[in-house]
Amino acid sequence: MKINRRDFLKTTAATSLFFAGFGLPSFASQNKKNLVVIMLEGGMDGLCAVPIRGDKNFKKLRSEINLKKTLKLTSDFDLHPALENFKALWDQNTASVFHATSIPYKGRSHFEGQDMMMSGGTVPYQEKTGWLGRGMKLAGLKGNGLAMSLPMPLLIRGVPLNNNYFPINSSLPQKRLLNIIEEEFNQYSEKDLSETLSIIRNRDLNYFPGTNASTLALEAGKLLSDPNGPRVAVFKVENFDTHAAQGGDKGTHADCLKEYDQILKALKASLGSTFKDTLILTLTEFGRTVKQNGGNGTEHGYGTAVLMAGGLIKKSKVHGDWPGLKNKELFQGRDLNSTMDARSIYASAMSTVFDLDFKRIQKDVFFGDKLENLSDKLFKA
Amino acid sequence: MKNFFRKVAFGIGPNEEVPSDPLAWALNQLDDVPDLTWKGKIPSRKEMIEIHARKTRIEEKKVRKKYKNDKKLLKIGIERLEDETGQGFWPALELSIRHTEAMHSTSPVLAKLWFFWANHFAIVEGGYRAQFYTGPYEREIIRPNLNQSFEKLVYDVTISSAMIHSLNNSENIGPKSKSAKNKKRTINENHARELLELHTVSPASGYTQEDITQLAYVMTGWRLGWSKSAKDTMPVEFDKDYHQPGKKTVFGKTYKSGKKGLVNVIKDLVNHPNCRDFIATKLCRYLITDNPTEEMKRPIIKAFKDSDGFLPEIHKAAIRVAFEYNDQYQKFQNPENWFLQMAKLADFSWPPSPTIMDLYEVGKKPQLVHKRPLHTLKGLGHFPYGSKQPNGFSDFEVDWTSPELLIRRLVYAKDFFEFTKSKNNNFKFYKNIVKKNFDNPERIIKYLEKANKHYEAQILLFNHPEFLRA
Repeated sequence: MKINRRDFLKTTAATSLFFAGFGLPSFASQNKKNLVVIMLEGGMDGLCAVPIRGDKNFKKLRSEINLKKTLKLTSDFDLHPALENFKALWDQNTASVFHATSIPYKGRSHFEGQDMMMSGGTVPYQEKTGWLGRGMKLAGLKGNGLAMSLPMPLLIRGVPLNNNYFPINSSLPQKRLLNIIEEEFNQYSEKDLSETLSIIRNRDLNYFPGTNASTLALEAGKLLSDPNGPRVAVFKVENFDTHAAQGGDKGTHADCLKEYDQILKALKASLGSTFKDTLILTLTEFGRTVKQNGGNGTEHGYGTAVLMAGGLIKKSKVHGDWPGLKNKELFQGRDLNSTMDARSIYASAMSTVFDLDFKRIQKDVFFGDKLENLSDKLFKA
Repeated sequence: MKNFFRKVAFGIGPNEEVPSDPLAWALNQLDDVPDLTWKGKIPSRKEMIEIHARKTRIEEKKVRKKYKNDKKLLKIGIERLEDETGQGFWPALELSIRHTEAMHSTSPVLAKLWFFWANHFAIVEGGYRAQFYTGPYEREIIRPNLNQSFEKLVYDVTISSAMIHSLNNSENIGPKSKSAKNKKRTINENHARELLELHTVSPASGYTQEDITQLAYVMTGWRLGWSKSAKDTMPVEFDKDYHQPGKKTVFGKTYKSGKKGLVNVIKDLVNHPNCRDFIATKLCRYLITDNPTEEMKRPIIKAFKDSDGFLPEIHKAAIRVAFEYNDQYQKFQNPENWFLQMAKLADFSWPPSPTIMDLYEVGKKPQLVHKRPLHTLKGLGHFPYGSKQPNGFSDFEVDWTSPELLIRRLVYAKDFFEFTKSKNNNFKFYKNIVKKNFDNPERIIKYLEKANKHYEAQILLFNHPEFLRA
C-alpha cells in the first residue's frame, strides 16, 4: 500500500481514501513531487555556511577565516554571502536550514563518510545500495532517478534503470548498430549492460548544452518538470575539503557554496511551477573543526548543517537544537556536536515527496534505526 | 585464455606474435624497470614544479595586479598565461608517454601495474597539480620503485613533494615545536590519515583517532623547503623546527622524536598483516574481480610476506593468480584500459608522435593536436591525473557502467575511426585481430559481419561484451 500514512490519518480528502483502497500511489491524485539531493563532497563547514551570531569565542577561534559581510537569517544565525539565491528563497519562505546535524558517522575519513552519507548505513562500505535508491524502490519508482554526473553515485543505486546526464558533444552510432550490440549483450546474459543500453537509445545526442553546474541544473529542472520525467535528481559539488586557505567571504569554501547557490538558481528558473512540488536538500559527510588549523583551513569534523529549499518547505527557519560551542559542548572537544541524526531529515523528505509512511522508510530504508519523523515540522504535506 | 593478454596488459597488436607461453611472457616483464619507450623530450619533475610555481606564484600575480579593475581583460590575461605555460600541453605529453608504455613498449604488463600503483597513491587534482606535476611524479617516484620493496615505494611517495603538497603535510606542524613557540600552530592530520587508510593498513586494521593524531605528530616537520625567491619549488626536507618533540605511539609502538620516526613507522605499517591483505585485495580487484576471495589473495599475501614486500614478487604472484582464474572471471575494464586496448588492437596512430609533441615550445599556445590526449581521457571520464580525491579511481564495475559512460564507449569507438590507418581498413584486418585476441573468433567474426562498413566493424568489436571485459 503506497498511501501516505499521515494523509490517511489526518486528511478527510476523499481522493486519498479512494486510492488507499486500491493501493494506487497517492500522487496520482496530485502533482508529481520531486526530490533533489546536492552532495557537498569533502565536508561542508556548516559553521561557515550558517555561522552563529554574537559568539565571541567562535570569532576568536577563526580569526583568519571569519566572514565579514554576512547575510542575516535570524537573530541567532547568519548566512554566507555567497548564498544569495538561497537567501532570496528564504525571504519567500521556501528555504530553511537544519543545524547541528550529521549522519551517524564519527570517524573522520572522507571515503567512509561519503560511503555512509550515500548508503545511509552505520558501517562503512557495508551497504551496496543508497538510501535514496532504496526509498525509490519502496515507492515503486523505476527509471526515475537522474544523476548529473558521469558515474552513477551510490546514493541512487538499488533501483534499476537509473539515468545519468553529462552530455558529450558528439553523436551516437546508428540505431541499427545499437540493436546488434544490444542483441549481443542479451546473448551473453549481460543484463545490466543491456538495460543501460535501452536507456541510452532514448537519448538525443544532437543536443549539447554543455556541462557546467548551472547548465546541468537547467537541464535537470526541465526533465523534473515533465510529468513523465524523473522524480529524483542528484548533483555533486566537490572541493569542500579545505585543510588550507579555506577563506572567509572569498576563498575555496565560498566558491563551493556559490556553485551550490548557482544550481539552486538554475533549478528555480527551470522547474517553473514545479518548484512548488520540489524539495532540494544538501548532503555532506561531516562538518569541520570549529577551530582553524595551521594553514588557515579547518580539519575534518562532525556536526554540520543541511540546507533545504523548494516549494515543499514549510517555512524559513533554522531548525535544530543548538548544542553550543563552548569547549565542553563540543564533540570530542573540537567539533560542532550533532543533536539530530541527519537521516531523520532525509527519511522525512522521502516520506513527503514519495508519499510513503515514515515508519516504512525507517524500517525498509534505514534498517529500523531510531529516527525522528520531522515531516510536519519541516515540510508541507 | 587469450583474454589474459588484455587482463594483465592491453592485448596483442595486429603485427605482434601471440606468445606461446602467456604466463612466462607476463612474468618476464616484471624484474626490471626499463627506460621509458617515449623517444621525445621528457621534462624532469623539478623542471615542471618550477614552471608551475613560476606561473602560479609570479606570472599570475602580475596579471591579476595589471587587470585588477577589468574582469574581462583579467580573464583573457589568465587564459593567455595558461596557454603560455602549457597548462593543456603537459598532461597531454604525460599521457603520451604513459600510453606509449602501454601500447608500444616491451613491458605492457609492467605498465598496467604502473597504472595500478599510480592510482593507489593518487594525487588530488586541486591547484593545477594534475596539469603540471602528477605525471612527472608517477614517472619519477612510482615507476622506478616497481622493482624495489613496497616499503621503499611508500616512503618515497610519502616524502614526495606531490604527495606532501596534495595532503597538506607542510601545514602539519607540531604544536610544541620551535616554530609554534611564538605563533599558535598545530597539526594537520590529512596526510597521516591517508597513509594509514589508503596507502598501507586500511581501516580494517582498527586504528583509532589517537593513532592518526600520533602518526601526524611523527610526520610533522616533513614539508616543502621554503625560500622567498623560489617559493614552492624547493624539495621536501625534514625541518626539525616544525617537528613535534617527544615520543609518539602508533599501534601501541613507541617512536622516538626526529627524522627517523617516519621511516621506522612506515617499516612497521608495511609489515602489518592488514597491509598485506589490503594490497592483495586491491591487486585482485584491479585484475580479476570486484570481490576477491581469500583463496585468490592467499598466494599474493604469502609472496608479500616471504619476499619482505619485494614488488616484483608481489606482482608475479598477482599475475599467476590472474592466470589461474582467467577463465573463471572476466573483469570489466576501466575506461582508460578499454581505450588503450582498442587503440592497440586497431593499430591507431596513437598517442601523438614525439615529433609532433616536441614541436611545442613553452611560451606558445599549444595546438589542438597537442592537447588531444587530455581531451580524450577527460571525455572518457577517466583522466588519470584528475583524481578528485586521494583514493583515486574506483576499480568496481558498477562505477564504470552508467549510461553516460557507456555512451562514451559507443561514441569513442565511432569517432576514433579517424585514428585508424588506411591500410587497415578492411575486414581481413579485423578478422586478424579477433583471431589473435579471442578464444572463439568465429562467433565474434560472425557478429562483425553484420557491419556494412569498416568503421561499423570497429564500433561493434569494441563494444562487444567479450571486449568490454578481460
